[in-house]
Amino acid sequence: MATVPHPLHTTTFKLPLPIRTEISHPQTLRFKASLSTNAPLPGRKLRAAVIGAGPAGSSAAEALASGGVETFLFERSPPTVAKPCGGAIPLCMLHEFDIPSHLIDRQVTQMRIISPSNLAVDFGKTLRPNEFIAMLRREVLDSFLRSRAESLGANLVSGLVTDIEVPNTSSTAPYVVHYTANNSRHALSVDVVIGADGANSRVAKSIKAGDYACAIAFQERIKLPDEKMAYYKNMAEMYVGNDVSPDFYAWVFPKCDHVAVGTGTVRAKQYIKAYQRGIRERVKPKIAGGKVIKVEAHPIPEHPRPIRVRGRVALVGDAAGYVTKCSGEGIYFAAKSGRMCGEGIVKASEGGDRMIEEEDLKREYLKAWDAKYISTFRFMDLLQRVFYGSNAAREALVELCGDEYVQRMTFESYLYKRLAEGDGWEDVKMVCNTIGSLARCNIVGR
Amino acid sequence: MSISMALFSPLTHPPSLSRSIPPQPHPILKPHLSLGPLKASVFLLSTARASGDNGAGTSASGATALESDVDQKISKPPKPVVQKDESSAGANGSLGATEAGEVEVVSKFEDTRWIGGTWDLKKFEKDGKPDWDAVIDAEARRRKWLQDNPESSSNDDPIIFDTSIIPWWAWIKRFHLPEAELLNGRAAMIGFFMTYLVDSLTGVGLVDQMNNFFCKTLLFISVVGVLLIRKNEDLENLKKLLEETTFYDKQWQATWQDEAPGSSKN
Repeated sequence: MATVPHPLHTTTFKLPLPIRTEISHPQTLRFKASLSTNAPLPGRKLRAAVIGAGPAGSSAAEALASGGVETFLFERSPPTVAKPCGGAIPLCMLHEFDIPSHLIDRQVTQMRIISPSNLAVDFGKTLRPNEFIAMLRREVLDSFLRSRAESLGANLVSGLVTDIEVPNTSSTAPYVVHYTANNSRHALSVDVVIGADGANSRVAKSIKAGDYACAIAFQERIKLPDEKMAYYKNMAEMYVGNDVSPDFYAWVFPKCDHVAVGTGTVRAKQYIKAYQRGIRERVKPKIAGGKVIKVEAHPIPEHPRPIRVRGRVALVGDAAGYVTKCSGEGIYFAAKSGRMCGEGIVKASEGGDRMIEEEDLKREYLKAWDAKYISTFRFMDLLQRVFYGSNAAREALVELCGDEYVQRMTFESYLYKRLAEGDGWEDVKMVCNTIGSLARCNIVGR
Repeated sequence: MSISMALFSPLTHPPSLSRSIPPQPHPILKPHLSLGPLKASVFLLSTARASGDNGAGTSASGATALESDVDQKISKPPKPVVQKDESSAGANGSLGATEAGEVEVVSKFEDTRWIGGTWDLKKFEKDGKPDWDAVIDAEARRRKWLQDNPESSSNDDPIIFDTSIIPWWAWIKRFHLPEAELLNGRAAMIGFFMTYLVDSLTGVGLVDQMNNFFCKTLLFISVVGVLLIRKNEDLENLKKLLEETTFYDKQWQATWQDEAPGSSKN
């Protein structure tokens, strides 16, 4: 279910001090007279501005609006602009965010990973019949999420946000969002700001959240002749090797009626075109006769920003840096972080009735988020460091992926974002195989 | 590497860094000549091949833009093997489609023993049993060649060879055992010398040393040291490794560091 009816939402009475007993800290059992020490808002609801209406912003706006907070959702691009993005989302996102199946362009059930020496391994033997990776067009997904947020009560503002005025002293002064709409400048005062404006976040700049390292993802959309397209009907390919990327992978992802061939890198951005040529070469027989219909590039954050919450401003999604290493997955984490942040604000403000503070944001959103996902991110970072470092390591990775146990564990954790229950003995075998493969491939690669 | 260089004939072009357009198409090299670990050659070859793409259309301008980047890069190392790639870079603009056909023939890895995407073990027989050392060498050479001449992956021609085809004892016999001998030798020498030193200083004999906690700790440290520090560079590598392992975590915790000094002020 996308929106769980918030228990506090049903209480609409406006007594000045609701008397409630609540265990506020797990360590010290203190019973407080009121739910929180935050000041109640006089005669109005909490106002929140969500900057950016991609998956993160729309999910945040949805959670806020359905929780009773007055929400303004800012977006600069018209809904039909295509975002350069892989467009792959895991099953859990379809379930948790109620994405209707008619939005899905393709159901990828086979993933092929190809090593530098062109050893190809097929991932997907362990998938059950109802399991797949959903490929969507970003503009379709984003429009859907945006209009759903709007129908739940968020006020959609089409305009470019130019600046966020941050109050410097008092804790109740509002944040002023300056934006340009219809060729005129406007300003809006709000209590809370959620920055969901992507890798070059303006909100992050306004709160001096610090910088992060970015990878660049470059892709070309290629329309293939029908018989070549048939090969990619349910198949996505991942290529690894120094010729296609020194620290990431290159891909061929099928989209609605064309394929996206692209690559990415962090440390060799100036050579991205050479790497793109490299992947085009590697896939040459499979895309021969195709026509390039679009070329696009986009930065992908590599790690979280130094500051993700400051004052009553929170960053979510790409703006915060929630992209896993190794696979570069960000859509699910963007949507989930937007939702968790929105729900956290609703909870801390008791359905929009109270003002919230930085501690509330940190406790309800940041702490919960870190507790839930930091091990996932750390593990992906480890995988990237071990397996993407050299051609020898990449060969070892592909060899390991041939193992059914590895495939099952990988898909389980990707599709459902949970640690799959493994078999202890198989785990030991997997570790031994890992060490063995790495040793052998390093020797042969010398 | 050195074996391959000795076995195969040298390049016919004299080594020079000229980038002039050659009067004839560049010679077709024997594919199993190792071209050396020069990364720039990858870019140049890709540039040459990409210019022959048909139907793609957008790479031409991109190629010329890239030329300037890559040209600067290759001016540094004066390896003679770069000659072939140099001439193709210069010829890039003019040769166009005609080059594509030739480059394709060059880029496939060929060897009499490499059949159908895998090594034919019968060709490696020595006294009736496959000579695994030769297989390992051949594969190493193939991968090295592929580093500099990446091949297109094709569905009609899949690669089947996997290092797990080579039995585990072949690896151990050739690579693990010599290293193990070396390390055990070092540990034994250190052990003998330290025992003698401790004995002469304190009068405690070997058996009594083994019962002492401090001596056991020293023993542990020396064993770990011998295992981890095998070359001079290892000390630096270990320090960097430790830093790298904790770096990502530090980036995640950064947002919490601000909590202590002056949190909600900006």
